[in-house]
Amino acid sequence: MTAQRVVVIEDDQWLAEHYLRLLRRAGYETYHAPHALLAIDMIDDVRPHAILLDVLLTGMTALALLHELQSHDDLATIPVVLATNLADQIELDDVAGYGVKRVLDKATMYPDDVVAAIRGALA
Amino acid sequence: MEQAGIRRQKGGAFLGGVTPLSVAAHELKSPLVLLRQLSLDLEMTSDEHDRARIIEQMVQVSEKALRLTGDITRSEAVQRSLFECTPLNPLSVCDDVTSELARLYQAHGRALRIGRIRQLPPVVANRDLLRRILLNFADNALHYGDVDGVVELQAQLLRERGRVRIAVRDYGPGLPLGSWRNLKNSLGQAQPVHARPQSSGLGLYISAQFADAMNARIGAIRHRDGASFYVELPVSHQMSLL
Repeated sequence: MTAQRVVVIEDDQWLAEHYLRLLRRAGYETYHAPHALLAIDMIDDVRPHAILLDVLLTGMTALALLHELQSHDDLATIPVVLATNLADQIELDDVAGYGVKRVLDKATMYPDDVVAAIRGALA
Repeated sequence: MEQAGIRRQKGGAFLGGVTPLSVAAHELKSPLVLLRQLSLDLEMTSDEHDRARIIEQMVQVSEKALRLTGDITRSEAVQRSLFECTPLNPLSVCDDVTSELARLYQAHGRALRIGRIRQLPPVVANRDLLRRILLNFADNALHYGDVDGVVELQAQLLRERGRVRIAVRDYGPGLPLGSWRNLKNSLGQAQPVHARPQSSGLGLYISAQFADAMNARIGAIRHRDGASFYVELPVSHQMSLL
């Protein structure tokens, strides 16, 4: 059975490594983009089953990236999990229209939460 | 090539009701969050290679957070008292900075080296404050430069201004013009926490304060292939009086 693909968009290199380790252990095929511009090309190439997305990115913000994805019919349906330091300021209802399935708070989440959120988004 | 001279704004540098305390708290949150995640990861990682890497990352993240708290404390002191400035060799400070950050850069798979340094006279500066400014710039370059790129410390004499410019030059795709303009407008100010990713700009604000305390100034140059953040210091004329 082919592994499901997850694109991780996170500009902190070491936090990204952490996510990639967790997701690989859980059996996912992982890809990393450190910023939104690279992420758009990567998503277009890889066609991931899910996206794990940081909110405060260098250059284009996560919201601009989500807008961009929504403008393409074939990318708009990819489920997104946000992992952010601003979780207390983001209501899931406000971003659900962009394909966001879960909002994780980086300050309080546990490693299992990341895998569970991706698994839940793919369900 | 676009250049931005930066002066710290007098008073009122914190915008939109964002207090220095909240900016400092935000700035410290990122390394603490990362440290917690790495600790949890370490707990569940059995591979020895991965464990060694995670431990090294934890050490470096802790040191970064401690540097920041040291800068914040020192920044408070700068506002209250004068710092002694003495003639010093800028190259020796560059050596200190490359040594201090060697492990951090290595852990990122990057290199910090001393690049173009022309024949330089001594500058008038406070060694500790100058060191902290360059550490801030070099730390910043890790996040904004190319993932595989080298970062260089460069220095040159600006004869007509009677100053020496020490720059931290990163190589990478270069900031988009919009991001550069935001950065140029915001340098020397602590920004509202949403204005920039990861960093609130506090490091640059503190660097501008440190530069002010030495009668120096910080600035930035946008290149086609990266950016330079620099500090310009007055040349020491003490030796020429002898």
